[in-house]
Amino acid sequence: MKWITARRRHPLAGYVVVLLALAVFGVGYAMVAPSADRAEAQVMAAAQTGAEPADGENAVDISQGRDIWERSCASCHGLNGGGSDNAPDITGAGGAAVDFQVSTGRMPSSNPDAQMPRKEPAWNREEIDNLIAFYEEEIGQGAGPAVPEEPPGDEPVRADYEDEDAYKEAKAEYDKAYDAYIDGASDTEAGMQLYLANCAHCHSWSGAGGGLTGGHWAPEIGDATPRQLYEAMLTGPGQMPVFTEGTITPEDKQELISYVKTLQAEPNAGGIFDLNRVGQVAEGFIAWTVGLTLIIACAIWITAKQRAHD
Amino acid sequence: MTDKSKNNDNGASDGSADRVIGTPSPAEGTAIVAGSDDPGAEHPGAYPPEETHAHSEEQQRRAEKTASMWFLIAFLAGIGFFVAYFAFPPNGEGEPAIADPQIGQYSNMALGGTLALALFGIGAGMTVWARWIMPHYEVSTPYDDLSSSSEEKGSFGDFFMRSADESGFTKRPLLRRTLLLSMVPLGLAPIVLLRDTGPLPGDKLKHTLWEDGLRMVVEGTNKPIKEADLAEDGAMITAFPLVEGEGGEHGGEAQHLSLNDQAKTVVLLIKIPEGDFKPGMTEQQMNWTHNGIVAYSKICTHVGCPAALYERGSHRILCPCHQSTFDAADGAKVVFGPAHRPLPQLPIGVDDEGYLIAKGDFSEAVGPTFWDAEKGD
Amino acid sequence: MSTTTQAPKALRGVGNWIDDRFHLAKTGEKNLRKVFPNHWSFMLGEIALYSFIILLVTGVFLTLWFNPSMAHTTYEGSYQRLNGVQMSEAYESTLRIDFDVRGGFLVRQIHHWAALIFVASLVAHMLRVFFTGAFRKPREINWLIGVGIFTLAMLEGLFGYSLPDDLPSGMGVRILQGVMLSLPVVGTYVSMFLFGGEFPGEDIIPRLYMLHILLIPGILLALIAAHFMILWHQKHTQYPGTGRSEKKVVGTPMFPGFAVKAGGFFFFVFAVIVGLSAFVQINPIHLFGPFTPTAITSGLQPDWYMGFMEGSLRIFPNWLDFQVFGYAVPIGVLVPGLVIPGIIFGGLAAWPFLEQWITGDKRVHNVADRPRNAPVRTAVGVAGVVFYGILWLAGANDILSHTFSISLYWTTYFFRVTAIVGPIIGFIVAKRICLGLQRRDLETLEHGYESGTIQQLPSGEFIEVHKESSQDTVHVLESKTAVDRIDDEAIASVEESESDGVEAPAARGLKGRLRAKLAHWYTKDNVSFEGVEAHTGHHLHHGAGHEEHEEMAGSH
Repeated sequence: MKWITARRRHPLAGYVVVLLALAVFGVGYAMVAPSADRAEAQVMAAAQTGAEPADGENAVDISQGRDIWERSCASCHGLNGGGSDNAPDITGAGGAAVDFQVSTGRMPSSNPDAQMPRKEPAWNREEIDNLIAFYEEEIGQGAGPAVPEEPPGDEPVRADYEDEDAYKEAKAEYDKAYDAYIDGASDTEAGMQLYLANCAHCHSWSGAGGGLTGGHWAPEIGDATPRQLYEAMLTGPGQMPVFTEGTITPEDKQELISYVKTLQAEPNAGGIFDLNRVGQVAEGFIAWTVGLTLIIACAIWITAKQRAHD
Repeated sequence: MTDKSKNNDNGASDGSADRVIGTPSPAEGTAIVAGSDDPGAEHPGAYPPEETHAHSEEQQRRAEKTASMWFLIAFLAGIGFFVAYFAFPPNGEGEPAIADPQIGQYSNMALGGTLALALFGIGAGMTVWARWIMPHYEVSTPYDDLSSSSEEKGSFGDFFMRSADESGFTKRPLLRRTLLLSMVPLGLAPIVLLRDTGPLPGDKLKHTLWEDGLRMVVEGTNKPIKEADLAEDGAMITAFPLVEGEGGEHGGEAQHLSLNDQAKTVVLLIKIPEGDFKPGMTEQQMNWTHNGIVAYSKICTHVGCPAALYERGSHRILCPCHQSTFDAADGAKVVFGPAHRPLPQLPIGVDDEGYLIAKGDFSEAVGPTFWDAEKGD
Repeated sequence: MSTTTQAPKALRGVGNWIDDRFHLAKTGEKNLRKVFPNHWSFMLGEIALYSFIILLVTGVFLTLWFNPSMAHTTYEGSYQRLNGVQMSEAYESTLRIDFDVRGGFLVRQIHHWAALIFVASLVAHMLRVFFTGAFRKPREINWLIGVGIFTLAMLEGLFGYSLPDDLPSGMGVRILQGVMLSLPVVGTYVSMFLFGGEFPGEDIIPRLYMLHILLIPGILLALIAAHFMILWHQKHTQYPGTGRSEKKVVGTPMFPGFAVKAGGFFFFVFAVIVGLSAFVQINPIHLFGPFTPTAITSGLQPDWYMGFMEGSLRIFPNWLDFQVFGYAVPIGVLVPGLVIPGIIFGGLAAWPFLEQWITGDKRVHNVADRPRNAPVRTAVGVAGVVFYGILWLAGANDILSHTFSISLYWTTYFFRVTAIVGPIIGFIVAKRICLGLQRRDLETLEHGYESGTIQQLPSGEFIEVHKESSQDTVHVLESKTAVDRIDDEAIASVEESESDGVEAPAARGLKGRLRAKLAHWYTKDNVSFEGVEAHTGHHLHHGAGHEEHEEMAGSH
């Protein structure tokens, strides 16, 4: 206390207090805000993945799919997918929609009234495949778009493999398929025009997302896999419109996905700080807070009072 | 203001107000750039000693070292700049060097980093020099009395008016007026000369390429659009008219539209589910739709950004520039924001082969609202 | 050590040669002795000057490659990702600067960062001048020139932003055209003539290029030169302090001290801008993609200095739009696009004259006001800053909405209300703070400062010892004029002295009464320092201390 008392009238004391206060708020906000999502995802996953991993190698286990459906989906969407007061009828949604919603962690949702952010999925790939198989078999029965097989889906996760080598092998295979899909596109002009004319107005030129009306937002699409992007176009989740196979053909969709994925993967030629590619608002903010502030700090150094012998 | 202390405004000023404070006695000799040589003074500087805080020799020596260190850093960084320049070669034939974004980033940071360090080094060195080697003092000079004395003003006024009279300008109105008159056409000439910067508006802003029977293509791929392509509820696509080149009537290549035409013809095709159209739509507006497919101009009627954020749930179309919101299920009426006019609607139908076609031009002028936008032709 | 170095012969030769032709020795010495007050806030204008120099130099470099043409082309350059993309030659040549010219990317980023810093420092400098009353007689003309520079700098920035013909830049031009079209009667003509036809045409970039690299920088250069020469002629203002008065200015002389400091500062400004350009990516046009009038991105923004225009366009409602015989008058575009900037810049330009008219203060002012000592001016300034700031924030409402998960429409409603309420609150709060500070000043001046030392009096009472303020503090505090409340009488007397004893009809007539009212409003709350004597001696401050002061006041 003595130490503080001695310094509380120091000319810099005020600034220090302000900085400390800002830091406290900043750190506090950072601790509170994102953790809500994360905690929710963890709780979900813990509650739902009671099922032990399926023992069969690649065989789909429809019974496990049914198990997941009954425990985690049916309470809102109904046992036969017919929907309820707080969830839509998804009998015609198709496997692509189920894959999109579940593999991006948006479903299962704890709050059916709010738009769900992207989260860690509640189940692993195998369980999701089982769920989709069950859905296609008993709920959708072939209605709606099926999961598109060509665009690469989720990256392999280490936890799903028993040993390192198996994982590495799967990863290499995945990377190869991914590169083949992205590099398979050749008409940048078409991909760019399609993306800029139909997607960028919500998801922004960089895929960083943006605000919509009524508290909705267009999500950031940097983490989305090519398959998820494809499924989103096909099924139009949430407020997003549908981009049918008729208007944007599978080849065109590949061009579009390739355009945005290549753009997102490109290093920033202008320097390591890209300001999250937000653009002019962030640039103006930095010009004032960093640029002008540093320059004024120099001016203060230059003009600081000099007493006789200091 | 009271002068309570011996302040920076030292004694020298009291005697001679006109002289710059602290001016040493005028230096002898012809050289104008030479400093004054006054060996008798205890203080060697150009300004009087009372308030001058010279730094001790010890301090100055230390500061000299610091400043020189900064200058050396600047020198090395400057050399580094050259190294960075030549370390990243230009792009070879088919072999991008700095055109590879990653290499470009390294090049940018190396060039900029060394340059920034060199500049900062010079700045820091100069500041250390100014602050720790130069003696510190403040001097004062009087502010000039800016207004002239009344005699000077009077004399000027007299002279000016006498001269003006002498010239005859004040006394000969015919001369004066014809001179002014002669200036008028010349003054207007530049405005006339600017006439050819562009055509007159006429009714150009009210018409677009769209006409009855024109098919539609997807922007970016020029793929003609069939009704079946938009069968699914919530489907949306940005479309242009299909303007064919050689071969005509659906056999020819889709022509590339000029940006001017793109800016006017672009439409948003939206499939709205049965029953979602609001009763506010007039019968005519409903006739302009086709099986739930509706076409609106994509250009906002506020100031012309593409209004394209279509939300399939609420059927709102939001403009990302200024957030004007239009209701796609209600004739694109403005439901929020600064725009005033609804987005113009394009009447559409289907031809024998199932392709979507326009049934005419837009209902109103597209783009930002202008003076006679809502007047007919 | 103590002898003066003789000027080298060569230098003497050159000096004499020049002097023989221009007679410069006396002027030269006078200018080398020009005094610069020492305070960091006097360097803000210099930041603007230096960033302008940087802009000129880097701009010239960029013109070596930039091709201001809207002709259509297909990209086949060395930047792989955009191969085969349709674009204009302007965009293509910008890509060439970025990816084929070594250092080109850096220089383009320096140019852009310097532009942001240029306008930012202009604003900071202008606020300093405003809040310290440095625009008062005799410096009104320099203030007007400054407002002109600010306005032109914004236009210059907007046009420069539009040149590369990337996605957001074209949208800036589009919005400009939309605002132009909204002008009653002449709108379509103005737009057709500027664009050489319909939007976007093929003429706009070459024309903006000419304006951006020739006309506007030329005018800016002339204005900056005039600004600087007037400053030099009239000398700097200065903050109050020991030895500083309306008659003489105190500071570091130009040569040698200030020259070295200012030189060093130039390098600092340059270093910070280059440092930003090296590591922080700005306006990555190669990632945005080329402009097409049919595509757009969310979060579309102008550079920060156009943000307030964007904001006013966003929050202004469409309720006031009307028609005259079927002709549209889009107030929702006209007012935010033209009237609001007109009010902001017109208000800035008019303020010195308005204030002078209200206060009737026609004296020369060389000592800067402390903002607290002109509470109404400070409060008006704060209200203006709040208004501008709200519009500026509103220009980023989509980013704010998305970043902080607030409903988009709510941000609009919020800014609509705060754009009106905010300035009023800002005015009241700022004025109250000023008056509070005035009272504290009075306290400090009368009783010295609180030393933090507690003493017990023989009576058992505890008091805090007040110590004498430093000389400099007393001078600063005393810079507040003793009487500065203006009532009808004072106005009449000012007028009287102004017109050589002929009584002015100031307080008569409608205008006169308005003026008297305004003058009263302008000064009525000021704390009077009349007859206050500075605290001296180390006496203890307690209740009984007041009598002492009254005695001293009498002797003054």
